[in-house]
Amino acid sequence: MRILLVTYVDPWVRSVATVHKWVAAGRALGHDVAVYGDPNPELPGIKFTTDLAGVDLALFVIQVVSDFPEMPRLVRVLDGIPRERRVVVDLWGHFNDTIRLEHDFNHLEKLDGHLGWEWEEAIAAVSDTILQPTLAPQRPGVGSFLFHGYDPGAVTKPYETAADAAAAWRDSRRSYGVMYVGNNWQRWAQVRRFMEQYGPARSEIGKTCLVGWDWGARPEWAVKQGIAGIDTDPALLAELGVEVRPAVRFDEVKALLGEARFAPVFHRPLFRHMGYVTIRTFETFEADALPVLMLPRDFVSAIYGPAALALVPGDDVAAHMKDALRRPEPYWQAVLQTRAHLARHHSFARRFEEIAALVKDRGRGGR
Amino acid sequence: MNILFAIEYRGNAGNTHAISNYIKVGAELGHNIAFYGPSQPQVVDGWYLPPEMQTARFSTDLKAFDRIIYLFESKLHHLKRLNEVGMLGTFPRARRCILDADGRFNPYIVVDGYDRSHRDEAELAEWVDYYEALADRVIKPTIAPADDPRVTAIPFFGFNPDEVLDPAKAPPKKYDILHVGHNWYRWKDVSGELLPAFEQIRDQVGEIAFLGLWWDGVPDWAHAMGLEPAYRVDTEAFRRLRIRVEPPVPYTDVIWAMSQARINIFTQRPFLAHVQHLTLRYFEEFCADTIPLLMLKDDLAEAVYGPAGRELTLPGRAAEKILDALKRPDHYRQVVEDARRYMLTHHSFRHRVEELVTALSD
Repeated sequence: MRILLVTYVDPWVRSVATVHKWVAAGRALGHDVAVYGDPNPELPGIKFTTDLAGVDLALFVIQVVSDFPEMPRLVRVLDGIPRERRVVVDLWGHFNDTIRLEHDFNHLEKLDGHLGWEWEEAIAAVSDTILQPTLAPQRPGVGSFLFHGYDPGAVTKPYETAADAAAAWRDSRRSYGVMYVGNNWQRWAQVRRFMEQYGPARSEIGKTCLVGWDWGARPEWAVKQGIAGIDTDPALLAELGVEVRPAVRFDEVKALLGEARFAPVFHRPLFRHMGYVTIRTFETFEADALPVLMLPRDFVSAIYGPAALALVPGDDVAAHMKDALRRPEPYWQAVLQTRAHLARHHSFARRFEEIAALVKDRGRGGR
Repeated sequence: MNILFAIEYRGNAGNTHAISNYIKVGAELGHNIAFYGPSQPQVVDGWYLPPEMQTARFSTDLKAFDRIIYLFESKLHHLKRLNEVGMLGTFPRARRCILDADGRFNPYIVVDGYDRSHRDEAELAEWVDYYEALADRVIKPTIAPADDPRVTAIPFFGFNPDEVLDPAKAPPKKYDILHVGHNWYRWKDVSGELLPAFEQIRDQVGEIAFLGLWWDGVPDWAHAMGLEPAYRVDTEAFRRLRIRVEPPVPYTDVIWAMSQARINIFTQRPFLAHVQHLTLRYFEEFCADTIPLLMLKDDLAEAVYGPAGRELTLPGRAAEKILDALKRPDHYRQVVEDARRYMLTHHSFRHRVEELVTALSD
């Protein structure tokens, strides 16, 4: 298949890592996958093209307004690829009624200048096939397609046994106890709760590091616009001994996670509510750190498989992590089982099969 | 026919005002015409909209329309991205067209040595690339025949007799000569024709005034932007000739403001005159209670206003014509009436709507 990804890729944010996986996995599987646009010298691993001839499928991967190309590229791609060969992958849930959760939202005019109806109309205008990265889309007619995936070949240290993994992990020297890599966007309440709960374990396990934009201070633009989803508390972070580091490129994430023993996974409130996956849902299991899944248990079970439930702390985060430090093998056993589950169910090869089946099904008149 | 206009909506601008006439007249002819967007308040940017625009139709229901017209003035990127996506996904290419209001679909042209179609060749390429990507058809608001198979030439702007000001309701005449409009590429006409004429007759006429922006000096920022020629003015000559400079008037007050003078002088940006693009002002001048004198070539004036138009042109005889109009107002009022009758026959918005519908039906 010749697949065109219509989206905006930026080495610092959003789904650029997944886009790389689509391009690479596509090549390995005999597909031609490219991103619509001009080559970006900062992203040599991605093939870019503006050649629309022979495209079998255009995936409009939508998170923010700028994922739709500017004119006149926009009209060229819409006119150049027939509607029946276009699919929208609505990664941030815009094709829903407006949702507000804590400070989180799927539509906010003061942030991007667009109202909910404008999002819905634009997405519906592109295609009849609208997919969302959840097992259970809220709207009838919207399909489930997780888009993001797990790459077993990218696991930093693919141990054969839990004993090996646990031994290596226990004996390794790490700069940090906990590393969270992600920009400060809608996750402060969860991060704060985690830090506070982790407190009693800090001296034993190691300090915490937050890597990403705006953890050190609430940005001025958010203050001016009254956008509350970028909260932080520098005094509290200092009191808890949390190190704050600037954002990193997508290709530095896994190595950074491996500098710590534990790597928590948080999903913003909107995504928790809708059961959405993100790049970090899967990528964390490729890193050499023990994932701490700060996610709903039913979601964990459905996406990661039952073994991953062992990686979900109960009410006592510190006790969970101290226990993992004392007897890491069962936890690493859970990690290896989860990796196997992800490789079976959520590899990029699987994603290609799913999208091919969807295209085939649509050819028969299905959605 | 159901026609949606995607424009940069401005309550105090001529194109917006013209389309509101299409909406009104179109409804009388059984056509559904609307601006794209949510309904607008009666006050936009501090200006009160004229009554007919307060009832202008707005719609965001793209599926209710079968044609879309993108009207471009000075900016290409005036639509919000998601709205663009919605429009492009809803209207196939064959049902889109462009109204080239500012003459951007022309070769790179320099007129009178200072006005130009585009900043440079690169800007021309950007506009052409955009237009060609968006639609196969470009409508030019001109009486000149189409010079390109992709172009449909229709005058587009029209005369609305309902806007003609009743002389009994007109304000007192405080000026003999008035020019209403901003100083935007007008200096060649003003310095080459009008000021020499005023020099000759200044003691024989009363108040002269220019209403609008930038007649009191070139704005500071214009030099840095390379736009000094567009705003050029000689304030010393204005002072010497006792020409008053007054602030602009709201769009809704233009006809009333023009009616404060016995004579109004109409100038057009040289580039648009060169490509024979019409604007709404061509017709508004004849709605005021005044004698419009035109800085247009005779042939163009006749083409728009009929034979009477020739009698109202100024080039080459401005001083003589102004004095004659002041001396024989009744004669010129009759000329203006002849022009109004001609416009009613040839340039009513009923004609315009029918022309547009025909063009879009092709």
